[in-house]
Formats: sequence, C-alpha cells, structure tokens
Amino acid sequence: MSEMTAEQIWTVQAGEKRSVGVIHIVTLALLIGIGFVVGAFGSISFPLGFGVNFFWTGIAVQQVGSIWFGMWGVLAGIIFPFFSNAVAGTPFYVSAAYIPANFVQAFLPAWAFRYFKADPRLKSGRDYLILFLTMIVSSAFGALWSPLVVLRSFGLLTTESVPLFIWGWFGGNVIAGLVFNFILLKALSAVVIRTTAFVKQWWA
Amino acid sequence: MVHLIEIENYSWQYLNTPQEALKNINLKIEQGSFVGIIGPNGAGKTTLAYSMDGLIPGQYRGLKHGVVKIRGIEVEEYPRGRLQQMVGMVFSDPEAQFTAMTVEDELVFGMENLGMSLPEIRERLEWVTELTELKHLLLKPPYEISGGQKQRVALAAVLAMTPEVLILDEPTSMLDPVSRKRVFEVLQKLKQSQNTVIVIEHSLENLIPLADRMILLADGEIALDAETGEFFQRLDLLLEKGISPPGAMRFFYELTQKNLYHGRLPLTVDEAAALLRGAA
Amino acid sequence: MNKTLLGYVPKESPIYFIHPFVKLYFLLVVSLFPMFITQPEVNLFIMAVILLLMIWSRVDLRILRIYVPVAIAMGWIILLSYTVLGGTHPEFELLAKVLGIKIYWERLRDGVVVYCRILPMIATMVFFLTTSRERDVIVAMRSVRIPFVVTYVFAMALRSSGMVLEDFQIVRQAEQARGFDTTGKSLGYKIRKYVMYMIPLFALSLRRTEEFTNALVARGYAFTGEAAKVKRADYILTHYSFKLHDGILVALISILFIIILTLRYGYNAFSLDSSLLINWLYQILR
Repeated sequence: MSEMTAEQIWTVQAGEKRSVGVIHIVTLALLIGIGFVVGAFGSISFPLGFGVNFFWTGIAVQQVGSIWFGMWGVLAGIIFPFFSNAVAGTPFYVSAAYIPANFVQAFLPAWAFRYFKADPRLKSGRDYLILFLTMIVSSAFGALWSPLVVLRSFGLLTTESVPLFIWGWFGGNVIAGLVFNFILLKALSAVVIRTTAFVKQWWA
Repeated sequence: MVHLIEIENYSWQYLNTPQEALKNINLKIEQGSFVGIIGPNGAGKTTLAYSMDGLIPGQYRGLKHGVVKIRGIEVEEYPRGRLQQMVGMVFSDPEAQFTAMTVEDELVFGMENLGMSLPEIRERLEWVTELTELKHLLLKPPYEISGGQKQRVALAAVLAMTPEVLILDEPTSMLDPVSRKRVFEVLQKLKQSQNTVIVIEHSLENLIPLADRMILLADGEIALDAETGEFFQRLDLLLEKGISPPGAMRFFYELTQKNLYHGRLPLTVDEAAALLRGAA
Repeated sequence: MNKTLLGYVPKESPIYFIHPFVKLYFLLVVSLFPMFITQPEVNLFIMAVILLLMIWSRVDLRILRIYVPVAIAMGWIILLSYTVLGGTHPEFELLAKVLGIKIYWERLRDGVVVYCRILPMIATMVFFLTTSRERDVIVAMRSVRIPFVVTYVFAMALRSSGMVLEDFQIVRQAEQARGFDTTGKSLGYKIRKYVMYMIPLFALSLRRTEEFTNALVARGYAFTGEAAKVKRADYILTHYSFKLHDGILVALISILFIIILTLRYGYNAFSLDSSLLINWLYQILR
C-alpha cells in the first residue's frame, strides 16, 4: 500500500465524498473535554494568574486539534479555555475576552498546514518550520492581545507588569507547544489522517 | 418471502487494510428468531453487526460488495434515523455508548431522537425500566453505577426505541457472572415476547439455552450456520476454530473421543445431568 | 449527596427549588457587578453574600480549599504587579522604599481594589460550579431555546471531560505502576511526565470518538439531514418548571444590576474617595 503524500492528505480526490457527520460533532466535544482537563492542569500547576501560566498544556489541544480537525479544533480551542480557566479561578468575562487570542492560536497552524500543504506527520524540515513559525506568530498575537487588551482593560495589571505577562503567555504557549505539538503530530498523525474524523478542508 | 434480514454475497474491506474483513457472506434471518454469532477475535463478528445496523458503510470508509437488506431494503437506502428505529444495537463497552448524564436522560435520548411524543416516551420509559429493573437508578449518572447495571442501561436505552431487531455485540464481555446472568434474563424475556435478537457472545453457557440458531464466523467467512442443537454436534470444527464449549458439552465430547459415548452432545448442564441419570 | 460540576450538594438542599436558568443567569449577571464597583468593601460584601448563598445551599465548603492557593497566588501576583513592577511615578505618594523598590500609596490602593474585584467574580463562578449539575447547564440552555445541537455539544463536552479525567487517572496509574513518580522532582521531569500522559490520553480520546459516534448514530442522533428535522420532545425539561419565585429572582438580579449601573454612572457611587476601607487603609499606612 503506497503512502499518502502531504498533497494527497489535504486534497479532496475526484469522486471522494466528504461531508460533516456526527463524528465531527463528537470530535468537537471530545476536544473540548480533553482541552478542559489538560488546560486546567496547566493553569493550576504552573500559574501566573488570570488563566495565564508559564506552561500551558492546553495549547497542544488548540493547535494539534485544529491541524487535524480544522474548524472543529478551532471551535474547541475557543470553547475549552472557558471551562479550564473557570476551574483555575479565572472570571467568566476575562475568559470571554481571551476569545480572539485563542482563535488565532488555534486557527493559524491549521490554516498554514492546509495552505502550504505541510505534512501533519512532520516528514520534512519544511513541515517542522511551518509548525514552528505558526506557533511563534500565533502565540505572539495571543501574548500581546491578552495582557495588553484583556488584562489591562479589566484593570488587573499595571502597565509596568504587562511585559511579564506577555512573556509568560508567549513562553508558556511556545514551550508547551514545542514539547507537545511535535510529539503528538509525529506520533499520532499517521493514524488520525486515516480516520473519518480527519478534516481535509475546514469542516469535513 | 421477505426475510427481516437478508445478506447476499456480501464482502467488506476497511480502507487501508490489506484484506477483507467479511467475505462472501450469505445469511437470512427470520422475524422472531434468536440467533447467536460466535467466532474467534478478528473473525468479523462486529463488522457483521455494524453492517446490519448501517454503521457500515455509513460511518466507515471501505469497499463493499453484495447487499445487506433489512425488510427487503438495502441499508444505505434508508433515510438517516429510520434504520436505527428498526435495528437496535448494543455495544460491548457500555460506558462508551453513554451519551447522557443521568440514566433517565440516557434512556429517553433515543426516543427523543426518533421524535416520539412525551406521553409515548413516558410509557416506554415505564415499560423498559420495569423490564430491566432500573427504576431506582434513574437519577444516577450512568457512569457511576456497576458494570452490570451499566450494560442493562445500555440495553434498556436501545429497547426503549422498540426496534424490530436487536443486535448485541458481546454485551457481557465486561461483566461478572451474576451481572451476565441478569442481562440474559432480560434477553429471555425478549425471546418470550417474540423479538428478533442477534447476540454476538463468548459466554456460551448463557447463550445456548436461548439461541434457536447459531452461526460460526472465522476469518471473515461463515464457517458454520445451523440450528443450535445441530451446531454443537460439530464440536470438532468449533474447537479447531478456537471456540471454547461449555464444560458439560466438552466432557461428553471427550467421552466421545475416547469411544465411551456415542450419542448427541448435551447442550446444557441439565441435558448432561439427564443423560448421566439415564446412564446410571 | 448529589454530585455537582465541582463537589457535592446534599440530596435535601433549597438550591433544588431554583430553576437552572436562574443559576446560569446569576453567574452571567452577578459576575458583572464587581466590574462597576471600585469600593473594595462593597465587592467583599458581594463575596460574603455569595458565600452565605453557598452555606444556604448546603454546599460542602471544603471545596473552597482548592481555591485558597488560587486566591493567594492571585493576591501575590497583583501585589507584585502593583509594587515591584509598579514603576516610578513621582506624581504618586511614596509610602516606603524597600530594597530600592518604591512603594506608592496609589499603587497599593489599586492593587487592593483589583484584588477585591476579582474575588467575588471567582466566588460567583465557584457558586455556580458547586450548585449546578451537568444536567442543570443543559436545562438552562434549553429553556432559553438554544438549539439542540449546541446544547448537546455542551452536554457531550461535559461528559467527555469526565471520561478524559477517568482516562487520565488510568494513564497515571499505568505510568506509576511502571515506576514513574514525580514527587519532589524537577520542573523538567514534570514536563516529561506530561508528555508521557498526553500521547496515551490523546490516543484514547481518538478511539472514543469512534465508539461514541457509533453509539449516537445507532440511537438515531443526527444534526443534519432529514433525521435532524425531527421535532424533539424535550423530556428532561418536563422535570423542571419555571415558577413564580424563579421569575422574581431573575427580576431581582436584573433590578440590582440596573441599580448598580444607575448608582455608578448617575450618582458616581462606589468611588474610592468615599470608601471606608480605603480611607482606613490610608490612615494605617501613612
């Protein structure tokens, strides 16, 4: 049996029927569930405050989930921080204000892998580079958005302490992403891309 | 005559697998019959069950040849939801099939999906909780009850939808002997009320007294299909395919091998006891 | 005891007389109150009221123990943010200089304000989590006619988080059985631990996706196509009715919110100048 190329992984073949199914709804729910658990674990174990922490394991669910499952992963990446932050003691409206940051963090890697036809099994240096760059850029956005826009507007931080939170958010995401994203994609992508839950486009 | 289930020249191969999971299956099942399906692991039992419930090809990618018909209509031709109303499926891991947070929600979920009215739901809930003795557990989370209770909840959730045929895929594989017996007691009641039941099961002691007909699957093919009494007279074949028969049957088989017994093999302990009493 | 999203509530508790929607409404609206109140004593009063509500609901208050470190950590972070990282501000009143760090009164005051604002917000969340069952969240959402597919995803997510936690325990026990122990180990070791948990956790969840989907399809669940258009009878909702007292509570919460907004923006109430606690603190620290 010949192995799929990265191009084939993301391209809908002639005659191939892909549609949104119950499995995608279930995937969304399960990603929220797993994100809740691992996200809360990160927030409680390595806290910096207000849902910001210096090793946020939830990033793996956001980014790997959206690479594999497209918009379902992105949606899960937006929703689960509500649950995980709640358990870690972050007020509801602070979590709500994090939505744009979480959206970008989940969306960007998923978009880049699809647009540049990178292999989720991480077969080449190019695949690694795309993942790494999207992790950096999306986490940078999240790191700037959240302390600058959210925490400042809620009056939770002084201007002088914002850099600590920016670096905390950025570092917390990138370090956890470096630890988990590469390993998860490398270990499980080959299996995931063969399942019906895998999303080639954005929804199916 | 239209059979409830008709499978003709049916083969199925999962995508990205080297060989067919089911090969050239031909099978007809009448209404009201109680059929047992046995076979070693990887024989294709679950694939066959999924094929009758439309999960295959609906939820899986693969290559299909031949036809699987329920009441004369190919499974793919049923509108979504309609086939599940006719064919109920109970899976081996009860916990994996729970979709709700209380036993009550779990039991009504399927009925709600089918668009039943509230009085109808209430009536069936009453009936099914009585049948499976679950009334006292209605407000409990289904994942916090015992293994046997979980499987009865899973069974009740499907029964509440009153399907024409009920398929159980190793329903007692995760249960202790007492819980296993209780599940089979429910199946006994279903048999008495002329329901069509197909059970995939390793626990032959409980299955044999209920089954009208037995099917042996091996390597994706039907290796043996016969009325239960006849089926177990082919114990040599069953043993060859890795099936472990009940102790009493095995004992008489050993006697046969040693030329100490030449009659029909008893199916149950009671039959064996009667034979021994007759011999004494 | 009945299990809630976070902890337990006895089988006999007055909280059961409250419709789940009221609890959700309380979370969403009362969480907003502190954002319009700067006086710390008023925010502390709100928190005290919420704690009294928890006692009235007969919540097992031991659950609050897990929030003590959270509250302390947040207090420290805010304190550091407003002192060590408070910057240099000649326009502020200097209270002290510790190891070269300038402690300003205005900074300390703002830190106290922020901290007292965050505490009732957390308390509201904890009150909701400790008094609501998963079913309550679903009922609350369905009673305001949120589409079934949305409420069901939430229900499944809550359910699956329970499953993931169970899986997490299984994986943890399996790792520990193989001699994997993190007690007193370094951060690097702990991070390695997470890696060892995450892969099996993901793999188990992916497997469950298939099982769960099969179970749903086998029970006629659909969210697109003909089957999804079936008019669903909402059986669970028949167990709940929105009574007069629920309506009164919703009205009270709404009126209270309007009063706070009116006082805040119409009469400049809750200002720091008239704060007893802040003035008292100022007297002490000066």
